[in-house]
Amino acid sequence: MLEIKNLHVEVGGNEILKGIDLEVGAGEVHAIMGPNGSGKSTLSYVLSGREGYEVTQGSIAYKGQDVLEMSVDERAAAGIFLAFQYPIEIPGVTTMTFLKTALNAQRKARGEEELDAVKFLKLVREKAKPLNVTDEMLKRPLNVGFSGGEKKRAEILQMAILEPWFAILDETDSGLDIDALKTVSEGVNALRSPERSMLVITHYQRLLDYIVPDKVHVLSKGRIVKTGGKELALELEKSGYAEYGADEAA
Amino acid sequence: MTDAIAQSFIDTFERERDALPGAGGWLAARREAAIRELADAGLPHRRLEDWKYTDLRDVLEKAAFAPAPAHQGAVLLPEGDAGSGAALFHAIDRHKIVFVNGRLNHALSDMDGLPEGVALRPLAEALEQDWAKAAIERRFDTNPQAQSISGLNLALMADGVALHVAEGVALDKPLHLIFLAADDGASHARNLVRLEKNAQATVFETHASAGAAHYFADQVTEVSLGIGATLNHIKLQDEAAKAVHLSTMRAALSEKAKLDSFTLILGAGVSRGQTFVEFEGGEAEAHVNGAYALRGEQHADQFCVVDHAVPESNSHTHFKGVLDDRSQGIFQGKVIVRPDAQKTDGRQMTNALLLSRDASVNAKPELEIYADDVQCAHGSTIGELDKDALFYLRSRGIDEMTARQLLISAFLDEALDYAPHEEARAELKALVAGWFEAGSLSAEDIV
Ligand SMILES: Nc1ncnc2c1ncn2[C@@H]1O[C@H](COP(=O)(O)OP(=O)(O)OP(=O)(O)O)[C@@H](O)[C@H]1O
Ligand SMILES: [Mg+2]
Repeated sequence: MLEIKNLHVEVGGNEILKGIDLEVGAGEVHAIMGPNGSGKSTLSYVLSGREGYEVTQGSIAYKGQDVLEMSVDERAAAGIFLAFQYPIEIPGVTTMTFLKTALNAQRKARGEEELDAVKFLKLVREKAKPLNVTDEMLKRPLNVGFSGGEKKRAEILQMAILEPWFAILDETDSGLDIDALKTVSEGVNALRSPERSMLVITHYQRLLDYIVPDKVHVLSKGRIVKTGGKELALELEKSGYAEYGADEAA
Repeated sequence: MTDAIAQSFIDTFERERDALPGAGGWLAARREAAIRELADAGLPHRRLEDWKYTDLRDVLEKAAFAPAPAHQGAVLLPEGDAGSGAALFHAIDRHKIVFVNGRLNHALSDMDGLPEGVALRPLAEALEQDWAKAAIERRFDTNPQAQSISGLNLALMADGVALHVAEGVALDKPLHLIFLAADDGASHARNLVRLEKNAQATVFETHASAGAAHYFADQVTEVSLGIGATLNHIKLQDEAAKAVHLSTMRAALSEKAKLDSFTLILGAGVSRGQTFVEFEGGEAEAHVNGAYALRGEQHADQFCVVDHAVPESNSHTHFKGVLDDRSQGIFQGKVIVRPDAQKTDGRQMTNALLLSRDASVNAKPELEIYADDVQCAHGSTIGELDKDALFYLRSRGIDEMTARQLLISAFLDEALDYAPHEEARAELKALVAGWFEAGSLSAEDIV
């Protein structure tokens, strides 16, 4: 599904990712853990094509396509989705309008028929309910005035509606209360399928109790320094990142 | 010293004076005085503070407009012409008045069918009304520089309408004044609106071309609101790309009167819109809002002075604009709170969004406060499209063009929401949406 080879990325002239190799097969869920500033969000932004992240070496292939040749919206239409660590507020654009525009833009890009207002409303209601996203939230401008937890739930609602093939969840658990963590995890698990893969970035093992990963990677100072099974997360919870050099001067 | 362009207006006056409305009556002397004033002062130019960004003298000199002729033959109302501002408001049940080249066109207008207590007359027939005379004779004492340019209109005004609504009467449906330029040249129109105590009216104005390309539309509207009267006003400026549009609205508000005015500017090569609000009684309220979208070489200058001379009145002014290509936007505003005007609430805001590196905005909202117990605020922002917001939208599969349009509409909608008539507001929003589609929002423009 996704194949990253020797990926080097610079931000503002500083090399942040220093040779990442990562392969995520169809249907797999991989977790990425690692200290603050190690480059986890950087990786997620490079995958989605954010400006200012310069790939100096390496490649990213998604379903056999060269991701680095694709624009931001082409990647989205091809099924790459990023649930932001810090979702952006969009004043003046209601969540509803945004969702409809996004879904229909993707459908159009894939040569599918656009959904009419009635069908769309039905779809949103159906997806919003289990995530406790209220009608009132849907009428508000996107993310504006949403609490931290509401923003994260709104991200997962977007994912549920857009049904991507490769989802990156960047600290979706941070800011969620215990109940919301469960709701959101259920939402994510509902999307798991043999054709859909996920990259789950988190600091806490707890999330991985709900969304059980096939593999766990430790990212430190721009490199994947260890890969293991789900038990690696438990180990990290106990021992921290010290043995991966997190406390050394960069 | 009389500049060349002022001289050409003086020549026009000399030629046409005997045919102008009110010739031989009291107005003739006022016109004489105005033309003398124009001869002395000339047209406003950039060395005058209030005209710093718009050198009207230079603009008119270069354009060298001859007087617009009386239009011969039929004029087609561009009602079905989608995307054109002139096509707006036709689906709304309203009284329609059409001006062609600044002159009232009786064939296209419905002067009749007005409810009792509402009088609508051509300017020439209203001159002997006391209220009309008083409106024309008022001077722009708080703003002498505005006086100079309204003098041009006073001297040359050839037509217009006078709307009078009697005490307690509400105009049953909007009055729609459509100003169409069918032939090139300069025209000068004057409208008068007087709402007596507790009267109500909604007035729409459309300014557009019906075939003319190179013209100067000069207009003054005098508004006088009696105690508790309410005027809702929507103006759409969609003039041709090479047109020069100059308009002045002056409103005097009695106690508890309310003016709610909204302007959308999409057209004209060079435009200057002036609004002067004077409060004459307390607990009155004035909203002067607007939106503009400019591209190419367009230049739009909004000048708005709100004068609080009596206690307890509110004013709210908010203009928002987007500017593409090499266009230029100007907002100059002033809220004056005189010593007696305690408990004034006065606000003036302007926000602009630059879509291109070569577009520019000058914003100068000012407060002049001489009373101590007041609530006033003013501010301006000039920005670009938010890159993070654009990325976020695009990361959901929305293509760049659509993402930009979405953010720009969201920005302008906040201003369009002020338009004080629901159906008209929806039509204005649709027109603005069309502006994007017709436009040059291309990837190269990205700042
Ligand atoms: N625009 C920028 N210019 C310079 N350095 C940057 C820029 N953006 C990010 N960085 C740096 O890149 C490094 C990696 O940041 P990134 O956000 O990817 O970390 P992270 O692993 O997601 O951390 P966290 O766990 O705190 O979310 C940090 O040291 C950060 O300061
Ligand atoms: Mg991060």
